[in-house]
Amino acid sequence: MSTVLTPFRVRLLGLAVLAVVAWLLPYRLNIYWISVADTALLFALLAIGMGLVMGIAGQVNLAQIAFFGVGAYATAILTTHDGYGFWVAALLAMVAAVLAGLVAGVPALRIQSHYLGIVTLGLAVAFVDWITNAPVTGGDSGISGIPTPPLFGIDLTSQYLYYYLELVVLALGLLFGLFVVRTPLGRRMRAMRDDALAAGAAGAEIGVLRMMAFGLASVYGGAAGVLYAGLIHYVAPETFSIADMFLLLAMVIIGGRQSLAGCVIGAVGLTVAQQELTNLAAYAQLGYGVVVVAVVVFAPAGLVGIPARLRRRRVRSVAALEAFQPSMLGGAEGRAEASAAAVAVPKGRRFPPWLQAGRAPRRLPSRRGGDSRRGSKPAERSEALARRKTQRGLGAEGRGAVPGVLLSVSGLVMRFRGVTALDDVSLEVRAGEILGVVGPNGSGKTTLFNVISGLYRPSGGSVRFAGRSIAGARSYRISQLGIARTFQHLRLFRHLTVLDNVLVSMDRTRSWWSWRYICWPFGVWRYDHALRSRALALLRGFGLAGFASALPAELPYGIQRRLEIARALASSPRLLLLDEPAAGLNGDEQRQLAGIVRAIRDSGVTVMIIEHNMGLVMSLCERVVVLDSGAVIASGEPGEVARDPAVLEAYLGKSALPGLPVPEASP
Amino acid sequence: MQSFFQTLVSGLSFGAVYALVALGFSLVYRTMGLVNFAHGAVLMIGAYVASTFYLSARLPFVAAVPAAMAVTSAVGLVIERVLRPLENRDFDLMLIGTIGAGTVLEAVAILIWSSSGRGVPSPVRTAPLIVGGVRIGTYNLVVIGVVAVAMAALTLFLQHTKRGAAMQAVAMDHEAATAVGIHVGRSNAIAFAIGAGLAALAGSLASPMLYVSPTMGDSLGIQGFAAAILGGFGSIPGAIVGGLGIGVIGSFAAQWFQGYSDLVTFVVFTVLVMIKPTGIFGERTVSRA
Repeated sequence: MSTVLTPFRVRLLGLAVLAVVAWLLPYRLNIYWISVADTALLFALLAIGMGLVMGIAGQVNLAQIAFFGVGAYATAILTTHDGYGFWVAALLAMVAAVLAGLVAGVPALRIQSHYLGIVTLGLAVAFVDWITNAPVTGGDSGISGIPTPPLFGIDLTSQYLYYYLELVVLALGLLFGLFVVRTPLGRRMRAMRDDALAAGAAGAEIGVLRMMAFGLASVYGGAAGVLYAGLIHYVAPETFSIADMFLLLAMVIIGGRQSLAGCVIGAVGLTVAQQELTNLAAYAQLGYGVVVVAVVVFAPAGLVGIPARLRRRRVRSVAALEAFQPSMLGGAEGRAEASAAAVAVPKGRRFPPWLQAGRAPRRLPSRRGGDSRRGSKPAERSEALARRKTQRGLGAEGRGAVPGVLLSVSGLVMRFRGVTALDDVSLEVRAGEILGVVGPNGSGKTTLFNVISGLYRPSGGSVRFAGRSIAGARSYRISQLGIARTFQHLRLFRHLTVLDNVLVSMDRTRSWWSWRYICWPFGVWRYDHALRSRALALLRGFGLAGFASALPAELPYGIQRRLEIARALASSPRLLLLDEPAAGLNGDEQRQLAGIVRAIRDSGVTVMIIEHNMGLVMSLCERVVVLDSGAVIASGEPGEVARDPAVLEAYLGKSALPGLPVPEASP
Repeated sequence: MQSFFQTLVSGLSFGAVYALVALGFSLVYRTMGLVNFAHGAVLMIGAYVASTFYLSARLPFVAAVPAAMAVTSAVGLVIERVLRPLENRDFDLMLIGTIGAGTVLEAVAILIWSSSGRGVPSPVRTAPLIVGGVRIGTYNLVVIGVVAVAMAALTLFLQHTKRGAAMQAVAMDHEAATAVGIHVGRSNAIAFAIGAGLAALAGSLASPMLYVSPTMGDSLGIQGFAAAILGGFGSIPGAIVGGLGIGVIGSFAAQWFQGYSDLVTFVVFTVLVMIKPTGIFGERTVSRA
């Protein structure tokens, strides 16, 4: 064990080597190159911020250069104009940069993608316009005479010593960034990047996360600005131009936007290349443009993505080979003598046999009870508290709620610009049952789920869950109250591993929990650690442990379907909404699905299931609700409902002859 | 009141150019799903080619502009071929890939025409019209007229020719279009070539009003993109309204806030987009689960 070089250790070793090289580097550099190195480190800091907001959180931010500018100009103005000391000015400048970041982040609450791109770019143009015109910023000529930061008597006028200051800040920034990416906050951001809708349904507060992403980016931008002001002693508008914004963008994309190390590599590489070619301006520009296009076309994940791509290809073939082992699939039904050991674990992780026994998932959600209080570590306590709050809310369900009814929908109307998708739908879901929702295509089944899970705000009617009204509530709120769902067309987080997919949903903390990142990072780490072991246990229960480090797209379809159920269950819901979970599954897989759903119900989770496969519905559901054209046309036991003339008519049409084969309903 | 109309007129003539730029963005975007940040650079190439035909080859302006459009369309075909892997990909990649292509074009322009710019004299020398005390430059009227004709021609092409209908079909669903036998690659190439031709038209029309330089496309490109978003990305009437809107806002911002016109324009733009994210004639996206 101690001699094994895991990828993590390799990475750690690489980081250590890099740190030593970076530390020794100034001894080999002349005065010209040390100034290039100083610039490169600043760009690296900026690039990490860009990487966090664009690569990790998926928010197009073309205002990063303006955050940089706010940091630099605020330092300049506060030191030269207002006479503050450097570090006081630096602190205030950071505050100003973060405020700028939050302002630039506000549009992200409403718009995304290219819309957000042009708006943030416009804000950057506006910033440049302001600094070139305002008297306080010195206009075109800028501000000079910014003092050198004092630091315990170290002479920071020396570019060599300044290098070390920058290096320390960069190292801290990189470590903090990596820490964020690998723990709950960053994981949620990555989930939001891959699929904001599914992330919201898994309990992530999308709006807050977007603002936090912009806030993070501006912290890095502001820090780089402060360091720039202290290094150059002079600020002028041309440093913060749109051309430099695009250069910064190129650094991030070429290096690899989804990897912070890649952002640093891209920043250092492009800064050096730019200095090397500075005499050949036009040809350098030509070469730079060609390289950018070539990287984007041939290596979309950037330079750091190339080795991972090759490695990934190898893992994929192993995972695909093992996927169809029947012993794997039995795990979730709790009767498999699972031999997950036979399954290749891509990360080289092996479990002792006693951990591989197919533990039924039914044990896992029950942690919601007294079980969860066992984990009284401070990190887990807040989670337990949140849960208790939920339970207290549920305790009030006596008032106005029929006992035993978990969800009641009444008079629900959903209109999309004249099209009425749901027309006065009323139904009840009793605690502990499996309720089937059937109906022809376009009858409003998925719309019903979307309203219940908070993706749509209903046009009218009420939805009460455990006695409280949830109609029109945000989807993250509904997830936190205890409703989880799967999607008709799979919505897994594409660039997250199987384990991370489950972790996103298992993490029940609220966004404000993230203050710990600043004040108590160890608590974050410990919470994450505990979460991981729970997530692995859940994956084992579902027989998915062997795929923990695979990406969803590498798995066969049936396994992806199962993973989505595992992800939904990871949030310990009281009500699980399954939207056509059997679509695309073969007979064997459908039987396993039935077993899984029953096991979930037996563990105390109420299940609502949309399904076209009537055999499955008949065997699984205690009650069935039939929708047609947005209205409930029948409900009751499956046997009764199947004989209901209205149902037959809905499925077969008025003129259908008896004995005509039922047309296969497909999505 | 007089100065109000004066500002309005100047805003409308710049707005007409922005509308043309926005139209190029929108046409390429709706047909092939490519957000083309190289559009400004293509426009700059068009302006240089037109000014070269006009000033050096001594062609009349009315001949120089179509010639420049033809040359630039050919350049557009090459760019489309290179950027084809980016079509319908995620936005970050398109953004930086097309910016890279724009950088290449700017470098090429510097190598051919040097980095110093050139002024282009107005091809229309008649005295400005004076309507109710408002001076209207004849060239401004020509610009607005040409833009109106170009818009009408494009609309006719898209709605009344087989090729145009095929491009509309690709815009709606490129897989379904393939299934009914439309050559999507060719349709995309034509869309890009038309977009590049429109950019050349915008660039050459703008060159007597501005100054032809390798970086002239940067600001025109950003304004045109903002115009496309404001009007509703992918919509032809949206491009017109958005372009005129950005032109008028910029003109009044310059009148009232002098140097701060960019600041005011983009703050107003941000607020408008926040209020109506899909623009005036917006593409409508419904999140489906």
